[in-house]
Amino acid sequence: MTSTEGLSDDALLVQYAAGDPQAARLLVERLAPRVLRVTQRLLQDAAEAEDVTQEAMLRLWKIAPRWEPGGAKPSTWLHRVAVNLATDRLRRRRGVDFDEIAEPDDPSPGVVETMIDGERRRALDEALALLPDRQRVAVVLRHLEGMSNPEIGTAMGIGVEAVESLTARGKRRLAELLSGRRDELGYER
Amino acid sequence: MTRDLEKHSTDPFGDDGLDALFAEARAEAPPPLSASFEARLMSAALATQAVAAPPVRGGFFARLKGLLTEFGGAPSLAGMGVAGLAGIWIGFAAPGPTADLVSSFWQGAASVSPSLSDWSSSTSGFQYSTGSELLSLLDTETD
Repeated sequence: MTSTEGLSDDALLVQYAAGDPQAARLLVERLAPRVLRVTQRLLQDAAEAEDVTQEAMLRLWKIAPRWEPGGAKPSTWLHRVAVNLATDRLRRRRGVDFDEIAEPDDPSPGVVETMIDGERRRALDEALALLPDRQRVAVVLRHLEGMSNPEIGTAMGIGVEAVESLTARGKRRLAELLSGRRDELGYER
Repeated sequence: MTRDLEKHSTDPFGDDGLDALFAEARAEAPPPLSASFEARLMSAALATQAVAAPPVRGGFFARLKGLLTEFGGAPSLAGMGVAGLAGIWIGFAAPGPTADLVSSFWQGAASVSPSLSDWSSSTSGFQYSTGSELLSLLDTETD
């Protein structure tokens, strides 16, 4: 283990700004995988998720010379930037205001046809992919990323009540989707 | 098959079951980056670093050169050198007293303006020498 590997993300960012290439490598290894996972979950598109992750990392590199250690964690800052970039993409993808996207009353994509394995977490990701965009974003940010409702509201440009409603509907729909796969996932009826 | 039922004995897809599933997903480490994507990220990181990183500090002469550049480079150094040499020459040559030179300027100025003694002895100034005389003058002006 080199002396750099034991440093905090804060300290690594300072090292990066001072010109240390090893700090860049460690920050990429520590931070980028989680950012890629959340952007993949939000966007449901591997190429777009990589683009957003790269853009978020680029913004981290650019802010590094002005970074003040001891404040926000680089991982938290990066996560928020990535979430904002991803929700912006979702808005542009639809060509309308993200807030105005109508939620289907009862989307019925049915049970997932292709079952690769019986892992529940895999099934969760597949079920998330079937949710309407806004429900998926709210559920992912609330339950998988641990963000508060006001934070989610800010990222999505909606109020807290709307976040609560989207999260509740998303969870309900997830339960329906997963319940339809009860046998495949190893649960008895 | 039944191990999951033991974990979620009521409803595996109720609120509690889903929360447990979310917790599992949160705890799971994200998959590693693909080699090609990591290479892309590193390339961008190093390119940005090359632009933003402060210049590497050189030796004494490199820093001296940088300092001189900030003050105008070689021409300013030549000017400073000439001024310094002139100062040394004046110090050694001691060109003699400069009083005559200075006094010739002051005398000229004195011939244009009256001296202070001339001004104070002039009779065209204020004639009021006491405070009461000045106050009485003010009273007449305000009336």
